[in-house]
Amino acid sequence: MGDILALTVEHLMLSAAGVGLALVVGIPLAILITRYRTLAGFTMAVTDVLQTIPSMALLAALMIYLGLGNQTLVVTLMIYSLLPIVRNTYTGITGIDKGLIEAGKGMGMTRWQLLRMVQIPVALPVIMAGIRVAMVTAIGIATLGVLIGGGGLGAPIWRGMQIVDSSMILSGAIPAALIAILCEFGLAKLEKAVTPRGMKASSPAKS
Amino acid sequence: MVKFKNVVKAYENHVAVKNLNLEIPEGELVVLIGPSGCGKTTTLKMVNRLIEPTSGSIFIRDRNVKDLNPVALRREIGYVIQQIGLFPNMTIEQNIDVVPRLLGWPAEKRKRRVYELLEMVGMDPEIYAHRYPNELSGGQQQRIGVLRALAAEPPLILMDEPFGALDPIARESLQDELKNLHSRLNITTIFVTHDMDEALKLADRVVVMNQGEVVQVATPETLLRNPANDFVASFIGKNRLNGDSLQSVVEIMLPDPVTVHPQMGLAEGLALMKRKKVDTVLVVDEQRRLLGSVAVETLDREHKRARTIGEIMNQDPPLTTIRSQASAKEAFDLIIGEKLKYLPVLDENDVLVGLVTRNSMVSALASAVWGDVGE
Amino acid sequence: MLWRLRFGVMWVSDFIDFIRSNLDVAAVATYQHLYLSFGSVLLGMLIAVPLGIWLSDKERLAEKVLAVTGTIQTVPGLAFLGLFLPLLGLGVVPSMTVLFLYSLLPILTNTYTGIRGVNPAVVEAGIGMGMSPRQLLFMVKLPLAFPVIIAGIRIASVYIVSWATLAAFVGGGGLGDPILTGIMTADINFILMGAIPAALLALAAGWILGMVERLATPRGLRG
Repeated sequence: MGDILALTVEHLMLSAAGVGLALVVGIPLAILITRYRTLAGFTMAVTDVLQTIPSMALLAALMIYLGLGNQTLVVTLMIYSLLPIVRNTYTGITGIDKGLIEAGKGMGMTRWQLLRMVQIPVALPVIMAGIRVAMVTAIGIATLGVLIGGGGLGAPIWRGMQIVDSSMILSGAIPAALIAILCEFGLAKLEKAVTPRGMKASSPAKS
Repeated sequence: MVKFKNVVKAYENHVAVKNLNLEIPEGELVVLIGPSGCGKTTTLKMVNRLIEPTSGSIFIRDRNVKDLNPVALRREIGYVIQQIGLFPNMTIEQNIDVVPRLLGWPAEKRKRRVYELLEMVGMDPEIYAHRYPNELSGGQQQRIGVLRALAAEPPLILMDEPFGALDPIARESLQDELKNLHSRLNITTIFVTHDMDEALKLADRVVVMNQGEVVQVATPETLLRNPANDFVASFIGKNRLNGDSLQSVVEIMLPDPVTVHPQMGLAEGLALMKRKKVDTVLVVDEQRRLLGSVAVETLDREHKRARTIGEIMNQDPPLTTIRSQASAKEAFDLIIGEKLKYLPVLDENDVLVGLVTRNSMVSALASAVWGDVGE
Repeated sequence: MLWRLRFGVMWVSDFIDFIRSNLDVAAVATYQHLYLSFGSVLLGMLIAVPLGIWLSDKERLAEKVLAVTGTIQTVPGLAFLGLFLPLLGLGVVPSMTVLFLYSLLPILTNTYTGIRGVNPAVVEAGIGMGMSPRQLLFMVKLPLAFPVIIAGIRIASVYIVSWATLAAFVGGGGLGDPILTGIMTADINFILMGAIPAALLALAAGWILGMVERLATPRGLRG
């Protein structure tokens, strides 16, 4: 039982590490491509193609260059988390009402202030949705980490499958399913919480 | 042709139609008119059973509609709506012949009918039959909407504010066309509108409704000469101001001023003011009760310190307001005497009903002196 | 660790030679992969499209059903296979079951929102003109929602083709087999023999269904 708890924590940490790295890389990248729109199409196409590569295959291919262990798993998770994070940050920021941007500029905001005070707060719910998708995907892919010598809840599932031991399989599968579902719900709650009050459904602004 | 007998439509917390009795003879074009929420559209939709009455009956040629299959009933009644609702996946020809197709007309007859109808309104079938709705202008689309309703030669047509969303020129020409078609085909027509000019122009008889009740049924001529009461008179009189009618402050105000809620963000507020080209907005709560105002200068000054409109409203001097029962004269005196830029108009519950500005005053005066010079 | 690995540089010519001599293995795996993916998406369509249509006027029930399919979607693939193993055992059946369940959400969501997204004025016109619910569905709602439904099928297909590699874990076959072999034997040739066709199939599925989507858009709705 203690083992499972430790594996669960490890599983979450690995997933979070992958998503965290994707945030560090993805958000600046997304902001960058909102300024240089020609880059946007290219970046989206690349991340789109990366997404179609089966996770097992990417994991295996990276293993050959990065070796066995958690570092390979985390890099794989980062790559898969990039698409939802970059895409949502990009569409969140570019989807903002032009009038709002103009108003901000008109008030004398610098580009940095505009980003910090207007663009990021308004786009935050969309960005959070991207993070939620990324996290759930990462938890799923992390179960495959066992193949390349990584940790997490994949180990009992995989080993149980080898020796056809249902209870061992379930001891990994059930917590893996649970943390994915809990993350989905928790992050969805957070997404609602960061939505500015004025933007929630049936927003006022009638004139 | 159509007879309403003690028809009532009640919803949970209001009555849309109260005990309606009305008879519409064969071939007549009847216009139902009244302010929004008066029950005119509900009345119309009860005829083809899109809405079922709570009690009472409606007869079409002495058949109670309740006894008819709604689908079959609707196929023998033409129906035109304000949003036009042409099927975007069908060509003009397919749109027009929907009901004939539902009724199983042979293809040859359907095609003849479509061509005949298009020619009737001066649209060349060779050009238009195979186009799609999104390739037509709004006026053309509604012309097709009307033809579609006529296609199966129904004895009755229902039209729900059909020209309300069109530009004035298209509206005018479609009204002429409808008048024309009606005098040629003599199809009984029930037409709903809130535009008195339209009603007077089209109707054989006008039915004025208010708060679910029929106030007056009369020919346009009688309606103009002998309005049944003040409500009808004021309804006819709207936009027909004459010198001595500038009585109430309501007649010189803008009915729909730019308002915001206190929780709106500053940047959003500023964007709204830019878009609406105003330099002050009124702040109201959910019930539209007036809370205060914010000027654009205040917004500019405070945007570093505050986040929402609520935090910065009322920094400007307190608002002078006026009740909606007040006379136009009082509003004039206040604005001129106190050198106000604007004057919010509130009803007895402090709900904002409008705004008097120097501009709105001047244009009300102008139209009173020289007639309707446009809004 | 179970495996000690060492890698040399991989040459493209070596890889081509490898594929040439293992063409039959690659062909069988690709065939199985297509079979698994198509089968489960087809099954997903057969269930989710009618279900989405049926739910389109039952908002509250629909929210619940979509929440359930959404939850299914979040369960990790390997965990799902693990959960089903005691019930369904090994092979094609559990693989297809899991893939089928994954395909439900995008198809169901798109069918539901596609039908509900039809302009209410058009629906009112249809009803007002005397269309029966069935006629309204087939003459108006479905043709207008069709591109959105196909988009759902496209999204499902792309994902399913990629996830079908997981079938290898439970002996379901497909392109996951060579990948798994490659991992076990630390042979990049096997990994690529599975990965490249799998990625190409996913891209092709997206491309082909994207075309269908454009063709299915009624002319009157095209920009």
